[in-house]
Amino acid sequence: MSDDTPPPETPPGDASPSNQQPAPHPVRAALPPLIESRILDEVTHGGQTGFIVRTPDQRAILEHLRFEQNFEFLKDITAIDFLGRDTIERFQVVYVLYRIPDKLNIRLHAWLPEEVESVPSVVDLWDSARWSERETHDMFGIVFDGNPDLRRLLMPEDFPAFPLLKDYPLKGRGERRQFPLVRPRGNEMVEDAPLPYPVSIGRGMHTPEYVEEVQRESKPRKK
Amino acid sequence: MNPNRGKSKAPDRRASAPLPSKRTLEKELSKGATGEHLKSVFQVEEEQDEEDSQRLIMNFGPQHPATHGTLRNIFTIEGETIVEADVEIGFLHTGFEKLAEHMTYQQWVTVTDRMNYLSAINNNVGYAVAVEELLGIEVPPRCQALRVIMSELSRIGDHVLCVGLQAMDLGAFSVMLWAFEKREMVYDIIEAVCGARLTTSWTRVGGIMRDVPPNFADEVYRFLELFPPLHAEIHYMLKTNRIFKDRVQGVGVVDTETALSWGLSGPIGRASGVDLDVRRDKPYLGYDQYNFEVPIQDSGDSWARYLQRMDEIEQSLEIIRQAMATLPSGPVVHEDFKTSLPKKQAVYTDMESLIHHFKLVMLGHGIRPEEGASIYSSTEAPCGELGFFVVSDGSDTPLRIRIRPPSFYNYAIFPRLVEGGMISDSVAILSSFHVIAGELDR
Repeated sequence: MSDDTPPPETPPGDASPSNQQPAPHPVRAALPPLIESRILDEVTHGGQTGFIVRTPDQRAILEHLRFEQNFEFLKDITAIDFLGRDTIERFQVVYVLYRIPDKLNIRLHAWLPEEVESVPSVVDLWDSARWSERETHDMFGIVFDGNPDLRRLLMPEDFPAFPLLKDYPLKGRGERRQFPLVRPRGNEMVEDAPLPYPVSIGRGMHTPEYVEEVQRESKPRKK
Repeated sequence: MNPNRGKSKAPDRRASAPLPSKRTLEKELSKGATGEHLKSVFQVEEEQDEEDSQRLIMNFGPQHPATHGTLRNIFTIEGETIVEADVEIGFLHTGFEKLAEHMTYQQWVTVTDRMNYLSAINNNVGYAVAVEELLGIEVPPRCQALRVIMSELSRIGDHVLCVGLQAMDLGAFSVMLWAFEKREMVYDIIEAVCGARLTTSWTRVGGIMRDVPPNFADEVYRFLELFPPLHAEIHYMLKTNRIFKDRVQGVGVVDTETALSWGLSGPIGRASGVDLDVRRDKPYLGYDQYNFEVPIQDSGDSWARYLQRMDEIEQSLEIIRQAMATLPSGPVVHEDFKTSLPKKQAVYTDMESLIHHFKLVMLGHGIRPEEGASIYSSTEAPCGELGFFVVSDGSDTPLRIRIRPPSFYNYAIFPRLVEGGMISDSVAILSSFHVIAGELDR
């Protein structure tokens, strides 16, 4: 873990006021000033550093990290939904990068407002972004502008919601009942209407209609 | 014979006309095309249509035995050659990441078993290490050593099964039976240690569920004695097998740059020359105390991936030997009971432990990492680098847990590799990639 820690602060004996600040992270120090000024904040926990930026800015930083600073390995792309929390925007898109020679892990967090739907894609920088961007799109509905193949990955193609959003209930909204039911009737296949399904609101709490339906269905049916 | 036999009824998204005539016409007309030019354009289209009629779409999976899981590969084939390949995943999607937001840190340990069900211990350990790094606690040395031993045993079980299945897919069925028999020895030890064979749920945040049974050392030493000859036997059987070698050598070649760009890790990355091993690069659980090498291959084909697994088994045996020789005694749970569960016996007899237990287990109390803390922590699982990105909001449930599944990244390159090859080569490539569907879809 010692590789990740930024260089220690300069000793307090130094009189120069510019040296009062802790030395910047080596990756941040190597960024050109125009790009570096876009970094809003820096988080460090457990010896790992993450830089925080606003959305369109991460593309320039990632390009620089990929080509100038030799971050060859993009470990992961994901997103966080901060719905209902006191944050400057709703979403954060997170990039985890790794540099092989000095074994350095860094993260880049990009704030994404709810109303802005598209994020610049990094497929041309790392091929591993193809599927991770696809999955982030699948789970959060974030559009990666420039990804050539942004279909749904884990969820069905016609799934109407984005399940990892915080306002999506744990137990779903009954989408499984909404798929068309095709049954054989005689010699032909007939499409039934989807079954009605009450909405549950997660955390083990159910609507009264749902409780009623469960009770009704659990009773043995009369012949 | 019906030429359309085996043709899928499912509509293929990409097989729809590669040159849409109306759009082409409009485009050409907008450029001011003349009659002669348009004629040549339509001729190209006709030729394209004729070519397309030779092709058929074949579904390889999700129920094909060679996929070893629910993977759907959609191949467009011309004769025996795969022209285009696409994959569809998500059949085992269970929403583990969504579940994590509704469970406490301790409860979610059980979910991690279900990801890579062939080496569940490695997932347990990976998750426990991630949360411990988030909390900033270090587990006692005995717990670290036991976690290392069990992870390496589990890795051996995973690799030997993968090699067996790879051989089975290419026709060497007896190797699979031998591999299953060898893996059984690993599972016996795992069962003795935690009572379950597949869904172990062995680790806790801050320790492990209980100390190992008294005959643990004997069993592991017996395994260390019996396994190497069997390993050598499998290796001898396959490395001198002409049929096996012909099927895997030069098939599915991934060069180092491609492997890096696609994020391949673990044995698959190292078989392509990506010199990455989390155990060596970012030693967790005291892996830096043990002397081991990270084997690496440079040819990057299915044969290299087979050799890589066999070499890694040897290194894992070496690590287990060293860890058993220096296995310390002492507690197996982090002694600060603000974050780890006290012993059950102490809970029944000791007031203080009862309070700690209550505070950890009751809903709304539990482990509470610092608000806003986040960490990406990775460990070396048998398939590759298994990462957990944990974000805390200061409550007892995480704000977000993202799993970086190694199989997910390893499988993304698969359609590129099989394009242009034969159908039988796709089996040789897929079996060497060892994709675990539970981990792929989560």
